[in-house]
Amino acid sequence: MGRRSLWESARMSVRSIAGSPVRAGLTALGVMIGVASVISLVALGRGAEQEVSKNLQQLGSNLLMIYSGEPRGTALVRTNTANIRPTLTPTDLEAIRSFDSELLNYAAPASTSNAQVQFENRNAAVTVFGTTPEYTEIRNFRPAFGTFFTHADVESRTHVVAIGMQVYRDLFTPGTDPVGRAIRVNGVSFTVVGVMEEKGEAAQDNSVLIPISSYQRRISGDSAFQMIAVQATSPDVMRQLQSQIEEHLLRLHRMPTMDSADFYVVNQLDLLSTVEGVAGTFTLMLASIAAISLVVGGIGIMNIMLVSVTERTREIGIRMALGARRQDITIQFLAEAVLIAIAGGLIGIALGVAGSWAVYRFARIPSEITILSVGTAFGFSVLIGLFFGGYPAWRASRLNPIEALRYE
Amino acid sequence: MIQLQAVTKEYRMGSETIHALRNVDIDIMPGEYIAIIGPSGSGKSTLMNIVGCLDTASRGAYTLAGTSVGKLAGDRLATVRNETIGFVFQSFNLLPRLNARENVELPLIYAGVRKTARRQRAMNMLERVGLKDRVTHKPNELSGGQRQRVAIARALATNPPVLLADEPTGALDTHTGVEIMALLEELNREGTTLIVVTHDIELALRATRRIHLRDGEIIQEEVS
Repeated sequence: MGRRSLWESARMSVRSIAGSPVRAGLTALGVMIGVASVISLVALGRGAEQEVSKNLQQLGSNLLMIYSGEPRGTALVRTNTANIRPTLTPTDLEAIRSFDSELLNYAAPASTSNAQVQFENRNAAVTVFGTTPEYTEIRNFRPAFGTFFTHADVESRTHVVAIGMQVYRDLFTPGTDPVGRAIRVNGVSFTVVGVMEEKGEAAQDNSVLIPISSYQRRISGDSAFQMIAVQATSPDVMRQLQSQIEEHLLRLHRMPTMDSADFYVVNQLDLLSTVEGVAGTFTLMLASIAAISLVVGGIGIMNIMLVSVTERTREIGIRMALGARRQDITIQFLAEAVLIAIAGGLIGIALGVAGSWAVYRFARIPSEITILSVGTAFGFSVLIGLFFGGYPAWRASRLNPIEALRYE
Repeated sequence: MIQLQAVTKEYRMGSETIHALRNVDIDIMPGEYIAIIGPSGSGKSTLMNIVGCLDTASRGAYTLAGTSVGKLAGDRLATVRNETIGFVFQSFNLLPRLNARENVELPLIYAGVRKTARRQRAMNMLERVGLKDRVTHKPNELSGGQRQRVAIARALATNPPVLLADEPTGALDTHTGVEIMALLEELNREGTTLIVVTHDIELALRATRRIHLRDGEIIQEEVS
């Protein structure tokens, strides 16, 4: 049994498939749909994974958030902290800021509450943020227009405000330069210094940012902060930084363990790996469901191959009389099943790729085709051809030549 | 060439044992022209299957071209068929999807002959049986006589020493039948051992030796 004989078998199979293209097409359909669904569902899963990671990255890089109070949920950036009692003090902030610059780039305090803003006869309900200029670096949230307030503004409790893009739209007629205009925040007049870039998230776009000192005096009346946002120097030091922060703050707050602490730390890295883990499981689940249809496609191949073996009993008898050995017959039918599966697989790959492209194009659902998913799907279709073609081919090779020749 | 010694073939049908052949002894020399004759149920199909290596005897010895084939396994038998026996069937047994040349190429594929050599040999065989201008025709585009010629060309393809013809004229009209027999006899004169299995006395009379079978036994052998 050499390569030549295999080649001959492949040629025979091609002829046989070409002899009944409709049947071959219908046989391949199952594998086609199976492969297409594996590829497009995995692509969708991967796309979702990427999207979630991207969203998390957009919150800022190497971000640690320290929150007042008991742990609530796992959100890295909480969209509503308005009713949290602040427990983080300026001393805490100073302690964190004095950490090694190998570990930490920036730390910024932040407190929020709901507020009413007003300009001329327009007003809007917004979230007001009290913070310091480092916040723009940590959250990767910068003015698109004008400037942010400065450390000097924080020092002197200036009434200046940077407004979110949505707030700008709500308060100003399009095209108006808001810089230098005075808006009222909960009735107190603040001068607009800049408009923040649009993030696509209401929590940021519908917020106004003022110096933490002004916030404390005019809004909360409390010298503590609800949160401290920290940017680590690299992902590698984030866990180290987190434990150092916890250790320091526990000592400052005179508390024995994190279980009884009045603050908690959320680490972007942990969150990212959790989310990616969940998304990965989700992708795997989608792939498994799709793989079932691949198996069903394989059963379809087996079904038709069994019919084909029965129909061609006489042909098998003739070939045996002319000197075909069992392996010749086995390989002939196996080659046919594998070719049908491969053809189905290739068309399925094309459909899957086209399908995920179309979903992205028309529904804007991101998807990612990977070489791995295409390769796996193709490999699986070959295996399915071999596995489900194996039994019919074996049946064909075990036929008795005399009975096969007599078969009508 | 062909030597059967006390060949017996039994089938089990439920609790009953059917003796298709009982103690058959046959000795055929190279280049002989033999007719095996008998009514249906006489065992001549069973004999043909054993001689043609499609089946093996329950008991007894069978030597074909110096090889004892009695105990060979399936794949070895396939090789022996391919190299030693050329089959000609009553119903031609051509593959309908393949054209004349491709049908003739089939045994050469299993003999492992390369494509160009195979093609050349098939063309030569078709020319030998007078179908040089029909090589690309499919079986359903050929007359009965032409189909049987293709089958004969196919049987000759691997140049086997034995031609085994089972009712070769059974599906043909008298005139065409005579032509086909003339072709087979010509091949016999060129040295191929020819064995014709038939129930037709007239056809059998053309052979140089006739073996009469009845109920699985040789009842008469005659030489003309």
